[in-house]
This record gives sequence, C-alpha cells and structure tokens, in this order.
Amino acid sequence: MDDTIIAFVALLRRNGVRVSFAESMDTFRALDLVGLGSRAGVKDVLRATLVKRAVDHPTYDHLFDLYFSGVGEIVKDAESRAMEGLDLDPAEYQRLLEDLARFLEAQGIGTSELTRALLRQDTARLERLLREASQRAGVQRIERTFQEGQFAQGLQQTLGVAEVARELQGISDALGAGDPDPRRRQMGRLVDRRLQDLQEMIRRMVRGELEQHDVGQRDAARMQQLAEKSFYYLSEDEIRRMKDAVTKLAQRLKNALAVKRRSARKGAFDVKDTLRKNLQYGGVPFKIRFDRRKRVKPQIVVLCDVSDSVRNVSRFMLQFVYSLQDLYAKVRSFVFVSDVGEITKLFEENEIHQAIDQAIRGNVINVYAHSDFGRAFRMFHREHLAAITRHTTVIVLGDARNNYNLPHEWVLKEIKQRAKRLIWLNPENRMTWGFGDSEMDRYQPYCDVVEECRNLRQLYRVVDRMVVG
Amino acid sequence: MVAFAFMFASIEDVIGRFAAQHYICHRTIATVVYLASRLRKPILVEGPAGVGKTELAKVLAGALDHELIRLQCYEGLDESKALYEWEYAKQLLYTQILKDKIGEVIAGAPGLKEAVERVARQDDVFFSERFIVPRPLLRAITSPTPVVLLIDEIDKADTEFEAFLLEVLSDFQVSVPELGTIKAKHVPLVVLTSNNAREMSDALKRRCLHLYIDFPDKEQERAIILLKVPGVAERLAQEVVDAVQALRKLDLKKTPSISETLDWTRALTLLNVATLDAALVDDTLSTLLKYEGDIRKAQAELREHVAKARAKASAAPAVAADKDVLH
Repeated sequence: MDDTIIAFVALLRRNGVRVSFAESMDTFRALDLVGLGSRAGVKDVLRATLVKRAVDHPTYDHLFDLYFSGVGEIVKDAESRAMEGLDLDPAEYQRLLEDLARFLEAQGIGTSELTRALLRQDTARLERLLREASQRAGVQRIERTFQEGQFAQGLQQTLGVAEVARELQGISDALGAGDPDPRRRQMGRLVDRRLQDLQEMIRRMVRGELEQHDVGQRDAARMQQLAEKSFYYLSEDEIRRMKDAVTKLAQRLKNALAVKRRSARKGAFDVKDTLRKNLQYGGVPFKIRFDRRKRVKPQIVVLCDVSDSVRNVSRFMLQFVYSLQDLYAKVRSFVFVSDVGEITKLFEENEIHQAIDQAIRGNVINVYAHSDFGRAFRMFHREHLAAITRHTTVIVLGDARNNYNLPHEWVLKEIKQRAKRLIWLNPENRMTWGFGDSEMDRYQPYCDVVEECRNLRQLYRVVDRMVVG
Repeated sequence: MVAFAFMFASIEDVIGRFAAQHYICHRTIATVVYLASRLRKPILVEGPAGVGKTELAKVLAGALDHELIRLQCYEGLDESKALYEWEYAKQLLYTQILKDKIGEVIAGAPGLKEAVERVARQDDVFFSERFIVPRPLLRAITSPTPVVLLIDEIDKADTEFEAFLLEVLSDFQVSVPELGTIKAKHVPLVVLTSNNAREMSDALKRRCLHLYIDFPDKEQERAIILLKVPGVAERLAQEVVDAVQALRKLDLKKTPSISETLDWTRALTLLNVATLDAALVDDTLSTLLKYEGDIRKAQAELREHVAKARAKASAAPAVAADKDVLH
C-alpha cells in the first residue's frame, strides 16, 4: 500500500497539486488510524491530508477514481465481458472455471502465475500483476497519444504475454478443438478469449495512464493558450471559457494586491497621537503610535469602444474592472461608437455579465454606426467631463480607427490635465498604429500610458499596474 | 472509559456525539474531525458562507465537553490582541501604591547606582503573570483543561499574523521575553475557518488537515430542518428544501445558506403554513435572500417551482398527463 500511495502522490504532483513530504507522512499516519476498509473513507483521508486547495478537488476526485479503481475496474470489466461473450451467469461462469481448473490438474498442465490468474478469475492477483508490470515497464511515463502502441508493447513484454499465449494455446490444444463434449468446447472458447481479454486490459491500462497524465496538464495548457490568444479571434465557446479565466485572474490579482497593500501599511512615528494615547499612563510613552497611511483608493473612469472590431476586448476589460470593483473608490464606465453613453447604472442593477451583454448589444447607444472617436470625445467633454477629478484614472479602450473623421485630440489634452492619469489601451498590434485611418499617433502624446492589449496576458499586466499605481 | 471522554473512539463515535449535539454531519466531516483529534492537527475549514463552519467548532467543543476559546480575526489583528499584553496601567498603579515600599527598599542605599541595583533585583515582581492579560491564544495554551481553539475567519487577518500563528500552531508554545517559554499543558484542538477572501499560505495549509464543507444535499438539508425547526410539517420541509436547492443553482449574488433556509422555514412555520404557494413565497422571500436583484430573479424561478410541486401533489391522472405539455 505504501508504494501505491507514494505513486499516487507523485501523480498528484505531476498534475499540479502541491503535496509536501510532511503531508504524505500525515497520510500514512491517518490511514493507520482509519484503515483501508472503505473506499470512500480512504478518499476522504487522502483529500484531507493531501489536497489543501478547494480548486484542486475536481482534479483530485478524477485522479483518485482513475488511479484507485482504474486497474480493478478494468479487470472486472474484462471478467463481465467474458461472461457475456460466453452467455453465462456468474454462478455458471464460476462452475466452468472450476471445471477447467480440475481439467488442468487432471492433465497435469502447469501454468505461469498470470495464466492461472486469468483462468481462475483471481481478480486481486491479476490486478496486482498488471500494476507491478506497469510500474516495471514505466507506463506512467507516457505523455502523448501516439506513444500508446509503444507502451502497450512494453507492458506486454514485461507481463510475458507471449508465454501466456503459448500456454493458452497448449491448453486449448489439450482440450481438443473438435471435441464433441459441449462442456469441453465451452472451456475451449473460454481459454481462447482470455488472451484477447488480457490484451484489451493492457490497452485500457495504457490509455488510463495517459488520461491520468493529461487531466491537470490539459487544463493548464488550455488556460495558457487562451491567455495568449488574440481577442480578435475568439470563438463563442472560447468567450465563455474566457469569462471564467478573467474571473480567476481577477481573484488572483486581488490576493496579490492584498499582500502588497499590507506591507505598506505602517507609516511614520506620530508624535501627537503618541502623546495623547499615553496620557493615561501619566505621559510615559508606553504605546508608540504610527501614522496610518491613508489609502487613497483609485477612482476609475473607463471609456470603451464597443464597435464591432474591438467589442471582445471591451467585454473583458469591463469584466475585469468590475470584478475588481471593491478595490476602487468609484468606477464609472462609458461606451462609445460615435455617440457616448454611460453604463455605470447597468452594472449597479444587473449582474456583471448581463450588464456587459446589454452594453455591448446596443441597448445604450447605437453600436452599428461607424466609429467616430472625435465626435464621441466631444460629446463626452460636453456631458461628462465632471466625472473626472484629480483622483481619477481614465482608461480609454479603442483601436483609434476613426474612419477619417476629425480626431478632436484637444479633448484628451483637457482630460489629461484634469485627471490623475490617462491610459490608452489599444487592442491592435503596435506595428499598425498610425497607418490607414488609425489616429493613434495623434492621441498618443496626451496619454500617460499607452499599451498594446491584444490578449488576456497583456490585459492582466495592464490592470495589475493600474491597481497598484 | 470516562477518562477517554475527550477522545473520539472512532468515526462512528464522532457522528454519534455530533448528532447528540444536534449537528448532522456527513461522514467526510466526521473522518476529518476524527483524524484531527487523533493526530492532534489543526483543521482548516473552508466553504461558502453559512454552511456551518463556525458551528462545527462549537459542536466539537460540546461533543468533547471542552471549553471553546474563540479568536475572531480581522484586518489589523496583532499579537497583543491575540496572544498577550502587558497591563501597563495596572503596573503603573502598583508602582504608585507601592511607592513607600520602594522607598523602604532603596532606603539607606549609599548611591544612585546601588539604589537602581536594588530596584532591579525586584523587577520580576512587575513582569510576572499577575500583570499579563492573556488573549485567546495564550489562554488556550495555558488552560489547565483541554480546549477547542476556534480561529474564525483567518482569511481576514494579515499575512504577518498568519506567519506568527504558524509558529504557535507548530509547537504550541510561546515565549514571553520577560517570563520565558510557556508550553501547552494540553495540545488544544484547533479549528481554523476561512471564507476564502484570500488564499492561505501553503505553509499554513501544510500543517492543517483540510476540510471543504459544501452546501448539504437534499436529504441532509431536510434532516437539518426537521431537527432545528421543531413543529415543521414534513411536507413543508420537503418543499422548502426543493425550492432552496433549486435557487442555489441560479446565478445569485448571495446564495441562500443553511441558516437562511432555517430562518425561512421558521417564518413559514410561524405563519402556520402547511404548503408553499406563490403569494406566500413572494412575501417571505426576504428572509431567504438579501439582495433586491436576487429576490426578483428568484421569484420567477420559484413560481414555476411551486406550480410544478402543485402539479405533482394533486396527482390526478389528468394533471399528470398535462405536465409534459406544460413544460
């Protein structure tokens, strides 16, 4: 059992669950107490001692099932298929096996351990043999689908399948293919199919190992891929998954931030407060007081272009900003194409995703017009400039493709003067800025920060810097 | 046997004693509690708000007949609030009162140096346990009888505090510079709860057994209601559970917790309701849900749900046949 647990711990680690040495020691002590009586019990024990993050629970459950019932299940499956193939119920099948054993004894045919296990429905032994051989053959090293054949072959050799095949053939011959006795014929059929069964078991074991290897890595790889993928080319399904990814990232950012903030909590020595607090001790300074550094939470104004070309980026930007809402003193958000409209209220009244959908679908402004940054900016200047104070960080999100309209960059200049910071995020590749109808070159001088923001990774970086600064 | 009352004999024993405390628990929970009590390891309990994380510690203390010492964490919690604090005011007061006595001690000292020397010889009088205010952690460690220590909402405390806690939890001893090291007489059974406002450090997690409590399934929630709300009609309990479980599947701002389910059931029982109907649901929903948006969303869902339940209850064949058409 010890080796089994150690191997399982290694499997968990391979799949991204962090398990320390001390924790695996705990597992052994805990198993001593609880015993191996029930599967569910063992599962609970391993979970409590090895898996400390709730996010790892699905991975753990999946791996546990694969690992601990994997081989047993495979063996049992093969057994029941054999019964079905011979059209026998368990009791009859059992009797047939007994007859066969008697026959072998009478004939004086000796067999190897594996063959005996196969012909006697000795599932426990079969399971152990398969598991040991699998370990010796190093099947757990399998990584890719195309290696399945190679590893199956290795496992066959380690098990000595050729030997088993020879023995089975021998028994089959001894039984006599054309024997008129129906009982014997039945035994012959059983012996013949056991070889296939064994090969099927081997195939499934290798497949199982491959799956074990895959679980965690597949998720990690998928996430990675998603983070790097340009927002322009997302499919419907990817948008859905991206939503989860954004939520997770936002949560991570929050955690990281909590730590950063705290480390900067204590300020300088506060004479006045120290004196006042220590009056009760006769003026003797027992308690030293420090300034509590005032945290000025940033205020945010987001201006999102929701024209067709950048809609996806706007969606995730909005989701990001609103997932982090409690980190800011205030968030006001606007969408524009050629008109500008405020959507702050939408977010107050609806759940995030609904609000985003409504904002993007054109319930607030006409989203089918041609982009006109200049017009939208002027409109913003006329109606909403009061939203910007010296504590505000303004984020503009757009590709600055203005359809050759007037750019009205003076609005940005004025915003910059009023605001704490002006950040422009452009979802286009930096190489293309300023070409064609892109007015990026005109807008850029008035921004404090200009960033390319084409995928989730870049978006995360931008938001990270925004919150800290 | 009595001597071992503070230990659980087996997992079944945990379940039994918890049931005696009116706490229905899943075998998973009992397993972890049993292991914790045997291995003397802290339990870190996580899960959504209102599934009975804090309650678990209380019940544990009750089941073992231990005293429960609770440390509520919050941002800015530090050692002086969690471990101990010198009682400066009392020390000062004593010096004032004992002025004459101090005068006696230093009387006849030939010089200032000698006087200081004499006072110094007495200074452990002032730094003795008499002037220490024990806070929960120190109380748990120095307690003459075994205790259950509940560290509630550890995720709200700062990371520095977590690091400090780690030290205490690993050896169950603290050193007070003036007094020396104090070692625990009995290793307390520690329960930490977290709402996952932030992720705990790996070091802390490594030292704990981990327990994730989720919302109970239908069967369990019904059992909890029947246990906690005396006089509730069985049928109402079932309907409430069905409704609440359906609501938990919705995307709500705040998912109804067990305690809110109980509140709702109590309200309905007070109103002498035997079975749910749409109007009643509308009126009482505010005990279950705390956001306007959630309530609106839930109303639609529940109306449908109540209608379905009604159709099922009046099991007339005609209605049963219509059911498929309706949905």
